Amino acid sequence: MIRFDGAGKRHPDGTIAVEGLDLTVPAGRTTVLVGPSGCGKTTILRMVNRMVEPTSGRVLLDGTDVAQLEAAKLRRGIGYVIQQAGLFPHRKVLDNIATVPYLLGWDRKRARTRAMEMLELVGLAPETGKRYPYQLSGGQQQRVGVARALAADPPLLLMDEPFSAVDPVVRAGLQEELLRLQSELNKTVLFVTHDIEEAVRLGDQIVVLREHGRIGQVADPATLLNAPADEQVSAFLGRDRGLRGLALRPAAGIPLVPHAEPFEGWTLTVDEHGRPSGWQRAAASETVRQVAVFQPGVDTLRTALDSAVLSPARAAVAVDGDGRVLGLAPRAAVLDALDAAGPQAAALTDEAAWEAAEAAGEPAGIPADRVPDPGQEPGQDPGSAPDPDSDPAPDPAPSGSGAGHGR
Amino acid sequence: MDGEPLVRWRWIGDHLGYLWGLLRDHAVISLVPVLIGLALALPLGLLCTRFPRLYQPLAAVFNVVYALPSLAVFVVLIPYTGLATQATVMIPLACYALAVLLPTTVDGLRAVPEPVRQAATALGYGPWRRLAAVELPSAVPYLVAGLRVAAVSSISLASVGALVGRGGLGYLFIDGFQRTFPTPIVAGIVLVALLALVTDAVLLLARRLLAPWAVRETVVGR
Repeated sequence: MIRFDGAGKRHPDGTIAVEGLDLTVPAGRTTVLVGPSGCGKTTILRMVNRMVEPTSGRVLLDGTDVAQLEAAKLRRGIGYVIQQAGLFPHRKVLDNIATVPYLLGWDRKRARTRAMEMLELVGLAPETGKRYPYQLSGGQQQRVGVARALAADPPLLLMDEPFSAVDPVVRAGLQEELLRLQSELNKTVLFVTHDIEEAVRLGDQIVVLREHGRIGQVADPATLLNAPADEQVSAFLGRDRGLRGLALRPAAGIPLVPHAEPFEGWTLTVDEHGRPSGWQRAAASETVRQVAVFQPGVDTLRTALDSAVLSPARAAVAVDGDGRVLGLAPRAAVLDALDAAGPQAAALTDEAAWEAAEAAGEPAGIPADRVPDPGQEPGQDPGSAPDPDSDPAPDPAPSGSGAGHGR
Repeated sequence: MDGEPLVRWRWIGDHLGYLWGLLRDHAVISLVPVLIGLALALPLGLLCTRFPRLYQPLAAVFNVVYALPSLAVFVVLIPYTGLATQATVMIPLACYALAVLLPTTVDGLRAVPEPVRQAATALGYGPWRRLAAVELPSAVPYLVAGLRVAAVSSISLASVGALVGRGGLGYLFIDGFQRTFPTPIVAGIVLVALLALVTDAVLLLARRLLAPWAVRETVVGR
């Protein structure tokens, strides 16, 4: 667990990077610091491993002030991943990964065996170990960077915009990989990004920062999207935060209709494996080849809605794990699911905020901002949830939110 | 030189042992100073990287040294080191080598990309250990590039040492000029060129062995 206790950083020239920060980063979970550039998020990250020394306050690592620990030793116990991977160009991949084990004085064989395991853990082929960093793609380099950070099995991982420099497709893969790793390893992760999408995807706890490292809100993703603390946080989340919130809720329990009969004049054609191959209009010889699908219980409501929106027949296509069609979910049914998701949504949200919304007279399960109203000013939360930030150390693990955010 | 052929092969045949001796002498007085220069440039370069304020004054001093004509320096040194001693020629050549190698060392040590430097720090390298384990290996391509320039210029300058009595293959030029006999001059030119070529090839090989990861040619100006 990391605790920032009034930690601040004032540069010698008098500019303030971070002003008295109070924050708790819970153990075994992913905390994401998100905010515009220049909000001090990297400075906050670097206070933990003493690459930046706070000029006021303290940073406590499991109760010990990091200033009392020897910097190099402290750092060997903390994994660190940066934007451009920062691999050593003169060392082969395997030796890059084994950096910290070597520094800790492990013998060569043990360090290399460990590096091999790490290579596999991050999904790279064993022969990659013999290459030099320049021979790898950006995404592969970043995987090596993660493997290097994990090699000595540190309980804490600091990640400074690790996926910002790769293209969106590779980034999505790396994010997926990190979620998988984290579900296996349960490290304490402190992750910095400017991308709210990434924050919502990866974070168990999200810290929205303003200038000088001032906290806008600390909340789990669902609470953040449903109940932004104020207008500034809401503006930072963007106009489609309602839609993004759907990405946190599983598409489950949507009633399906059989796909054998035409739906609104369109017939879903399937191949010999039962997988969707296109939409065909009965009357005209019109066809649509691309079929957007969702997998109930696995994909999110956002994917289901997307499938429904893209379908010419106004029905989302539900498939099983092998891609075989299960049935159609008419748009209306998908939209009903958005509203009826009450119990599921509640399980994914900070319950205190949820109850507060109910107490304030909201109909149960349908907070006012659930369906975004384009006419409504962002952040006009009709007096419902109390400021979740009013508690200086918000419970990072609200009961029920551990179930996974419908990933 | 009327009637005198450009190359008398018999003279060369008769003087093989003499030529070999001059070549060896030349290799020693030109290349040992480069190694001395390297041995000085590495610690000075590391110091300049760790304490950047040192670099500008040091670089200025060696730039001035580099600007001094070699013959003048040889002559100035004679009262202290004696005529026809190796030191008279090797001391200035070592200074020239250092003048080339100090900036390339510092450039090389500084060429480590910022993310690499930060990653090294974040993984737990102390400043000195980082210099040795991360920055120094990264500087190898720069060092080799600097060594190529320093070695070739040293090989060329060493010939001038013949004028103060210690110049290896430089004798051949004086000899041939005084006797209007072109054969030693041609032999000297060919041997100097050969020495330079072989030295360069050895350095390139060293670079391939020491820095197989450096794919691009590193160019050093001077």
